[in-house]
Amino acid sequence: MDKNIYEPVKCSVTEVITESPSIKTVVLKPEKEFSFLAGQFASLTVPGVGEAPFTPSSSPFDREKLEFTVMKAGRVTDEIHNLKKGDNVGVRGPYGKPYPLDYFKGKEILLVGGGVGLAPLRALFFALMETAENYKRIVFCCGAKTPEDYIYKDKILGEWHNFCDKFPLSFRITVDKKCPDWKHGEGVVTKTLDGLDVDIKNSVAVVCGPPIMMKFTTLKLLEIGYEDSQVYLSMERKMYCGVGHCRHCLIGDLFVCKDGPVFTYDQLKGKPNIWI
Amino acid sequence: MKKITITMETLYVSKKEWDGFIKGKSGDIPLFAPVDNLGTLFYNRVDASNYADIAYNRARPVEPLKMFLLPFKERVVPSVEDIPDIVVMGAAACDIQGLKILDRVFLDADYKDPNYSTRREKTLIIGFDCSSPYSTCFCELVGVHPYPEDNFDINLSLCEDGMLVDIGTEKGRRFIGSDQRFFEASGEQRQKREASRKKVVEAINENNRSFDMKKIEKIKGAYQTELWKVPKEVENCVQCGSCTNNCPTCVCFFLEDTGNAEKSAKTKVWDSCLFPGYARMAAGASPRPSLYDRYANRLLCKYWYMIDNFGITGCTGCGRCIAGCAGKIDKRAVITEVLRETDTR
Repeated sequence: MDKNIYEPVKCSVTEVITESPSIKTVVLKPEKEFSFLAGQFASLTVPGVGEAPFTPSSSPFDREKLEFTVMKAGRVTDEIHNLKKGDNVGVRGPYGKPYPLDYFKGKEILLVGGGVGLAPLRALFFALMETAENYKRIVFCCGAKTPEDYIYKDKILGEWHNFCDKFPLSFRITVDKKCPDWKHGEGVVTKTLDGLDVDIKNSVAVVCGPPIMMKFTTLKLLEIGYEDSQVYLSMERKMYCGVGHCRHCLIGDLFVCKDGPVFTYDQLKGKPNIWI
Repeated sequence: MKKITITMETLYVSKKEWDGFIKGKSGDIPLFAPVDNLGTLFYNRVDASNYADIAYNRARPVEPLKMFLLPFKERVVPSVEDIPDIVVMGAAACDIQGLKILDRVFLDADYKDPNYSTRREKTLIIGFDCSSPYSTCFCELVGVHPYPEDNFDINLSLCEDGMLVDIGTEKGRRFIGSDQRFFEASGEQRQKREASRKKVVEAINENNRSFDMKKIEKIKGAYQTELWKVPKEVENCVQCGSCTNNCPTCVCFFLEDTGNAEKSAKTKVWDSCLFPGYARMAAGASPRPSLYDRYANRLLCKYWYMIDNFGITGCTGCGRCIAGCAGKIDKRAVITEVLRETDTR
């Protein structure tokens, strides 16, 4: 008897962390092993309420826990924000194609994240750091609307900089609108691409954030010399099944759930309504 | 690639004997067939009381074959138990062709739908030739003939005093068994069938004289909103979902969670890409905010995306989307005009 593709793995909530006024991280302990590769997503079920797709933000190498950083945006995410320690949720997956880390080997990796887009990039960042010697260099560009809206703030502004001693890693940090004690840059995240000293011919750019941010970041990357095939985008669409049956997530003929969610820009060009 | 024609086993049975045969079967297994209700064909359960009402070989019924395999609303967690064996008679060629899309979606090797494969195995499909196509039928324009050629268990073609019975599968063979009322069809009977079929093909082509879908592959890339404002009928779409409900190949569904943390269930329900909420995301953003984008999307899915996904066209020419359209839109006219417009750009 085939396993029911819609039956989730039961998880218990071990912690809920408030990252910003609209974003929380739920930390889960799956009942049985649930592993994923950076870039893949899972469908999180709040029993009796609904499901929504999220890319885990925890390290793919973490066997103890599974973390999802979720913005409050609608019916299901409202309920996710109401979760408390001890509550049960379901997770099914992992689905989709992961970031091609083998292809990234030896290259200079440019990560560009905006707002809650930093969540999938966190998982990728940990995956890269785990085998850091494989990559030539990592430049992590981060943006958010205001300092208050920054997720993983103490890590991005503090703890992760410790990696910079052992490895060619640098951060370029900005906010759209700063506050008095903000010590870093001001401006939209595309501004961090000004004066970028990356060997573009031997680089890949991984972009994640709201559609409008991904659009302008892509245009800026092409402007400074990246090819369409070097720009990796995490696309989002309405999802239900996650396995290519219900057809809600199509961008043209491409399923965000099984052909993506990570696409290179050359795959997307020519498809209808790329940027929502 | 050279087309290899495998000669299918074709039997002949007299109408009277067939009626007796099917009356007997209806006592063993639930049987569904098209029945005339005030001039329109609908699927009905048939048994000893009404088997004589079966409308053989006229045209497609209102309901698509998918209705038996993909219920409008179906629980997936936990999966449905006790799916019965049934026989569905009267599947027109357009619906049988549509099965190919349904199979490619739900019999996916990596992720099999929990209920579809069971229903598929337990449904015996008996196709019918069409002899009286509707004015909305256009199967020939999309490479489908008004008579099933493959992908059925059995096909019936009415002939003088009886019918030709094509055996498509082992399952179909077993259904007939070694019943002595069936004989091998003669060469003359087959030839007469060829001739009648040809006439129906001609009738369909005649009905579709004013529409041109020869260059339908040009619809690839034709997604601009402005393009779909050109045919005046498009604005009459009221997003009722009739086209998607009745289409033999529309498969879109949404998932609904019910219950609570202790006991919950998940249900699959038909959805329509015409609905504004279909692709709309939590914070309100939608890739197809305009009615024109949504109208175009269904046709682009049938004639572009599904071809890229499955290698075959998503449209089988049944015409239900035309016959059932609340806005009285004839999509053949819309497509003809859109293709003409892309030519000029």
